[in-house]
Amino acid sequence: MSSETRISTSRARRFVSRLGILVPCICLPLRAERLNIVTTTSDLASIAAAVAGDAAVVTSIATGVQDPHFLQAKPSYIMKARNADLWIRIGMELEIGWEQPIIDGARNPGIRVGTSGHLDASGNVIRLEVPTQRVTREMGDVHPSGNPHYWLDPLNGRIMAQNVCERLCKLMPGQASVFRDNLRAFVGALDTRMFGPVLVEKLGGDRAWALLLNGQLDRQFTEAGSAGSAGGWYGAMRAHRGKGIATYHRSWNYLTSRFGLSIAAELEPKPGIPPSATHLAGVVKEVKNGGVKVILIEPFYSRKSADFVASRTGATAVVAANSVGGSPEASDYLSLIDLIVTRLSEAL
Amino acid sequence: MKSIRAVALTVFVSGLAMAVQAQTSTDQLTNEIRSLRQQMEEQRKLFEERIRQLEAKLDKIEGVEARATGETAPDDLAAALTRLRGDSVVAAPGRTLPEGLKTAVRSMNPDTSVIVDTFYHYDDSEEGIAHMLEEVAGFGHAHGDDDHGHGHSHLEEGFNLRHLELHLSGAIDPYFRGWAIGAISEEGAEIEEAVIQTSSLPWGLQVQGGKFFSNFGRINAQHSHEWDFADQPLIYKLTLGDHGLNEKGVQASWLAPLPFQALVGVEAFHGDNEMVSQYHGEEEFSEHGGPRLWVGWLKVGPNLPEKHGLQLGLFGARGIHQEEHDEITGDTPGTPPDGETDHWLDGHTRFWGADVVYKYDSGKEYGVGDVTVQGEYFRRRKELDLVDHTIAGAPIGNDRIDDQDGYYVQATYGFLPRWRCGVRWEQVGLTNDTRMPDGAREDHDDSSRTSAMVEFLPSEFSRLRLQGSYGDYATEDGKEDAWQVFVQWTMSLGIHGAHTF
Repeated sequence: MSSETRISTSRARRFVSRLGILVPCICLPLRAERLNIVTTTSDLASIAAAVAGDAAVVTSIATGVQDPHFLQAKPSYIMKARNADLWIRIGMELEIGWEQPIIDGARNPGIRVGTSGHLDASGNVIRLEVPTQRVTREMGDVHPSGNPHYWLDPLNGRIMAQNVCERLCKLMPGQASVFRDNLRAFVGALDTRMFGPVLVEKLGGDRAWALLLNGQLDRQFTEAGSAGSAGGWYGAMRAHRGKGIATYHRSWNYLTSRFGLSIAAELEPKPGIPPSATHLAGVVKEVKNGGVKVILIEPFYSRKSADFVASRTGATAVVAANSVGGSPEASDYLSLIDLIVTRLSEAL
Repeated sequence: MKSIRAVALTVFVSGLAMAVQAQTSTDQLTNEIRSLRQQMEEQRKLFEERIRQLEAKLDKIEGVEARATGETAPDDLAAALTRLRGDSVVAAPGRTLPEGLKTAVRSMNPDTSVIVDTFYHYDDSEEGIAHMLEEVAGFGHAHGDDDHGHGHSHLEEGFNLRHLELHLSGAIDPYFRGWAIGAISEEGAEIEEAVIQTSSLPWGLQVQGGKFFSNFGRINAQHSHEWDFADQPLIYKLTLGDHGLNEKGVQASWLAPLPFQALVGVEAFHGDNEMVSQYHGEEEFSEHGGPRLWVGWLKVGPNLPEKHGLQLGLFGARGIHQEEHDEITGDTPGTPPDGETDHWLDGHTRFWGADVVYKYDSGKEYGVGDVTVQGEYFRRRKELDLVDHTIAGAPIGNDRIDDQDGYYVQATYGFLPRWRCGVRWEQVGLTNDTRMPDGAREDHDDSSRTSAMVEFLPSEFSRLRLQGSYGDYATEDGKEDAWQVFVQWTMSLGIHGAHTF
């Protein structure tokens, strides 16, 4: 090569390398082969990642550290939604304060409500507190379709995973067998953590759940003489069935209902209204009378009122995340339930 | 003797034979017994297997029967889930629909909400703050408040109902969404917004048309109930009027395919805002039809970590502007004392500026620790030719140039659960020149105002606010100052769409 050609080549190379810095900024985002899933909460992201595996990139708008009722439709959220192929929400009006401006602002017609790129994970979950009469705002921050914190019931975790799998199979039919395998693995892991490995091996996950729902799981144990093999979350909480706990917000009902606990008192006088001195005095009485030992509270709430009640009653304020990422130990959905069950059973 | 021996031998031999025979029989018997035992064992196993099979068949039949009669097998998960779901969605007794169906039917209706914004106002100026603001040097001669009698404009001392807003919004079809906002006040009802907006254009595009607030800056597109203060910033009140820039027209915007939010918008408006472009008065010269006002804006929102949000904006506009002035003047040189003069101006108005908003979400409940900081700068320049004048010898063809600017900076902070406070500092007229057609230059002073507010939000749907401000205004008659106090109550009923950033 002559020196002239060499110079022009290097100049060209420099030009191209400078252009290379610009090109990624101005190119339309290429449709990646991996599905781009954006979820509203981190629990959905954990479940979606487990089912989708390597076929998708999953990000979440809420990170578990904030109260998911109140988020701003920030520019960075809008940009996340812009490139999403599938948007998954908890639904039941949990995200009603911020979902629509993000979807509208993102100008992504593929993820609008009702399209195949929009999944409401609450479709067929087991719902609690569905109103049977007219709901008004007099009742506080009440949701007209029921209590939206349904992901805290492991049974609903199973159903959410199935819903995600169905939708993924519809969007990427070629990978359907992979998704179903991942679903089976996730459900198996969940069942094992719920009932312990011995019970799951003996009965199978589906059967164990069915017996639990029909109130016949315990009978199985005593008949088979295998009372000691109850493990997992179910085993850990068996001893505490029937006990009452106090909570800050009406966010734990699904968990308590699944494990046979009851809610003895709520620190919020009505959902969304902060605790008042008069109300807390009443709570102290209820906690004392009910022999309640635990006040369960999320990390993003102030501990002042919980500590107040605890100091006057001998109950313990137990801080546990109600969403993946809310505490460092709650790194995925199964660890989240692990954390809550562990903290509860230690304190009860 | 021989016979006894023979008998004994016979007996012995036969005895031996018998013994051998007996032994053989025993063996045979044992063998037989053993084989019998084996056979019995095999039979038993066979029978047990048969019984097991029959039992399984029986179970199946019983299971089918049970399902037919509504009982479920205790280990059927799908059936248990169906039963649970049926229990959780209970149809209310009577003629009402099941909850799910009711929601589906109702969701076809537009979302409806009513917003009531009312306040008590007090100020210590002599003529009332509304009058004073009309006479701010350089910005004065605001027309139209008296002519149109909008509910907004009359800031009276005492109780004011700004207006009642009726919001209706919903999806029109897979391609469009729409909303209408009616402002109902004591003086009557008017359409604040009536918009059809596309919802499924590709490439990040969106188009809307109808009557709406221009989306430049921050404050202009916000409805009064969303403001962080009871009143709008001085600069917008003085340059755009009480309504802000609320026009009929179309808007096209584009979300650029960059890794951060970059929104570009262009708007073409008819040009009804009298302070910017509307033509008032009799037809003395050719009227310019619409669209008379063009606005362009750019909003950029970098991707910030979790709790932070930031958006920066730039905007500019140009509009055809005509004014007719009927004045009774005694002071203007060259005019008859105590006479009437009419003059007409025709030209353009331009405005441009920048805005910035930063929001910090502390993540704690009820807005504690949340911070917002916001500011805008606005500069406008009216260049109008003097087209006609009733005074003979007036400098027809010369320009009248009005060049004014202003800015505000405000910040809010959630200091207690459900409580917020805010401060605002604003200045107008840092640039404040008027150059008259006869060559006279007027250089006016600036005015400023400080405001502070504290508010309590019992819920997301209601707000009680106390605000005080102190303003130092440069008017035609020199500097005047005034205190203002607002006690404002805002509430919303019904389903109101979530607010944008």
